[in-house]
Amino acid sequence: MARDKGRPFLEVIGLTKSFGGNLVLSGVDLALHAGEVHAIVGENGAGKSTLIKTLGGVHRPDSGRMLVDGQDTILRSPSDAIARGIVVIHQELSLAPHLSVAENVFLGHFPLTRLGLVDRRRMRDETRSLLGRLDIDIDPQTLAEDLPIAQQQMVEIAKAISFNAKVLILDEPTAVLDEAMVGTLFDLIATLKSAGLAIIFISHHLEEVFRIADTVTVLRDGKRTGLSEVSEVDQNWLISRMIGRNFPKFAARSCTTGDPALEVRDLTQAGVFKDITFTAHKGEIVGLAGLVGAGRTEVARAICGISRPTSGEIRVFGRKVRLRSPKTAMRLRMVYVSEDRKALGLLPNRPVRENATISNLSRFRRFGLLRLGLERTYVSELIRKLDIRLPGMNAEVRTLSGGNQQKVMLGRALAIEPRILIFDEPTRGVDIGAKSEIYAIIEQLVSSGMCVILISSDLEEILRLSDKVIVLRRGRVAATLSRAEASESAIMHAAALPG
Amino acid sequence: MTSAWSPVAASFARIWRSVGVFAALVLLVTAASILSDRFLTLPNLLNILRQVSIVGILAIGMTFVILTKGIDLSVGALLGISVVLYAGLLENHSMAVAIPVGLAAATLAGTVNGVGVALARIPPFIMTLGMLSFARGLAFIYTGGMPIPILNEDFYSLGNGYVAGVPIPSLILLAVLAVSAVVLSLTAFGRSVYGIGSNEEAARLSGVPVNAYKIAVYAISGFVSGLAGLVYASQLSIGTPIAGQGYELDAIAAVVVGGTSLFGGKGTVAGTFIGTLIIGVLANILNLMGVDPYVQQLFKGALIVIAVYLMSRSDRA
Repeated sequence: MARDKGRPFLEVIGLTKSFGGNLVLSGVDLALHAGEVHAIVGENGAGKSTLIKTLGGVHRPDSGRMLVDGQDTILRSPSDAIARGIVVIHQELSLAPHLSVAENVFLGHFPLTRLGLVDRRRMRDETRSLLGRLDIDIDPQTLAEDLPIAQQQMVEIAKAISFNAKVLILDEPTAVLDEAMVGTLFDLIATLKSAGLAIIFISHHLEEVFRIADTVTVLRDGKRTGLSEVSEVDQNWLISRMIGRNFPKFAARSCTTGDPALEVRDLTQAGVFKDITFTAHKGEIVGLAGLVGAGRTEVARAICGISRPTSGEIRVFGRKVRLRSPKTAMRLRMVYVSEDRKALGLLPNRPVRENATISNLSRFRRFGLLRLGLERTYVSELIRKLDIRLPGMNAEVRTLSGGNQQKVMLGRALAIEPRILIFDEPTRGVDIGAKSEIYAIIEQLVSSGMCVILISSDLEEILRLSDKVIVLRRGRVAATLSRAEASESAIMHAAALPG
Repeated sequence: MTSAWSPVAASFARIWRSVGVFAALVLLVTAASILSDRFLTLPNLLNILRQVSIVGILAIGMTFVILTKGIDLSVGALLGISVVLYAGLLENHSMAVAIPVGLAAATLAGTVNGVGVALARIPPFIMTLGMLSFARGLAFIYTGGMPIPILNEDFYSLGNGYVAGVPIPSLILLAVLAVSAVVLSLTAFGRSVYGIGSNEEAARLSGVPVNAYKIAVYAISGFVSGLAGLVYASQLSIGTPIAGQGYELDAIAAVVVGGTSLFGGKGTVAGTFIGTLIIGVLANILNLMGVDPYVQQLFKGALIVIAVYLMSRSDRA
């Protein structure tokens, strides 16, 4: 039963946008009412980012109409959009790290004293009251760079409110949050919704749509393939409209594990993690779960020689080792694929070819020089094996979609023919099609004897793939669960509750 | 999220980066030959080649450093230090002693730069700025402030002789160019240099010995400065402590005009060579037209800014 929602505050009709001959958005309609939470879902490349950038004034549509509060509007710039109450919060947060929370919130519209100078007291007080109204517990004097990412996001939202936003657009706000923080964010969204704000958010986590959204739009290849009240549809409906086919359930995992590949005993890094003990076998997938900040990435970095543990023992294939650098770990055929491919993984302006081979150039070296032909052959084979979609192996890697970039990073790890692979957040920012491809690749690697340690904040992913789950909490092992014992509630219990 | 049009723009940017600079040179040469009928003559062209040799050599070494997102402001001073050492040692020793010592000194200074940048994490600008002053001071102390004349005949012919009709300094430039091009495009070290400039941490996590390689690029820059000093000293037959003052800026100009990004990870020594030629041709044609040398500075400044602006358009793609 559709309730009468009144006139939409923001509406686009027939939005079309091309970039250099490539049609990215084609005749997209969207209507957004005050107090509505509207989710936009779709695979990578479906046009979601372009759509919200157009709504936010970053891009100008080639054709189509935009109505803001009933008025035909052309947005010339993001500031134009903000002036009309439309604020976009992008995935890459844009706070000024060296400024305080209060300064960030009022950046661009500082309150001034009579003399024209910045009124610091008023700025601080108004920030404090704004944060209070939003139920956000942050000291306005804190420097932005000292805040964890989840709280930086809150500050960005508070900043949008300070500009009197009527429409708040969130681009994958939950990508870097764990379960607890997602809850806090959604509480904030609920608060804003009851204050009459209209909210659009993009997410790859479909269960969030059902948790918080009133309506959902599905995009595929630049067109809208689905629009519905959330209460009237289910996940399968969403997925089938996203990928144009019904998505098969993953097969149950059969695993045959062999000798211990990696044994970690009482591994400690002062102030970060303590007494980490577990064993990972050949042919086994060990899931490392826990809330953000529990120390999973830190443990992985210590195991792979990126940082040094304070004490404890690491055995690789039965031999005790001391890892001094990433190179040492790689010589033992152990490799770590970082969770933050943008900052720590990709060589953004270098071609895909170089990104894939940089970890093992000696493979192509003859008499001191690189054999480019050999490299080309190797990379072609890699592209085929991992099904990487790209314009060519010489394209700059930053032009690839998230899922394909992740495959390149995996390819780089595979270049050293690892026997132990630690994969940190393998499908962050990756669309559903590429996600299942990556899962299939992981399962294939494991079936040929590789040991994989999987770090993920996606519980479904952990449960689907792991033979064994180790749950970290505040830098310690809270639970070790077999595949049979592992369930969403068992993991969450161990990860979030003491004892 | 990727823009669907990015592959097109990226290809265009790549083409511009490699061909655009060359196209600009061709354009400039065409314009020059129209503006003066003395331009397109063999003696004049060889003259240009000889005149750009010193800065050209420096610029090639500088390319290595800039590719790693660094900068070397000390190359002129290291040229100076090597020049005064050549002059001083040639008073009582043979070239077989003087040349290796001068080169070693410049390389050592470059290594010190590298250690400061890589291990002490001093920003390259600051480290090499300090070295600039320090090395210049050493040069003055060594010579007591007075230039040292060089009387060695063989040394003189190094700077002023020809082989197969090509000036020897230019041969040195071309040799440095060839070796550098091979190293950067065909060795693991060269490939890693690009990786370090593109994303240093990612390179480190991939097993690249980042610190060692960074020290190496500054050492290379030092060595190359010593080579440029060799050309300088042998051409002019004088070991003056002010040799090379200001050359670092000309070297940087040649590198950026040639398409290397100051943000690291993009550029080639071939581009740098063309950048050097562009600046050289510009200076030459202005000379032939009798333009006041001070006015020439205006042209050079404008050229650098325009060239970098055009490059930055392709960076953004």
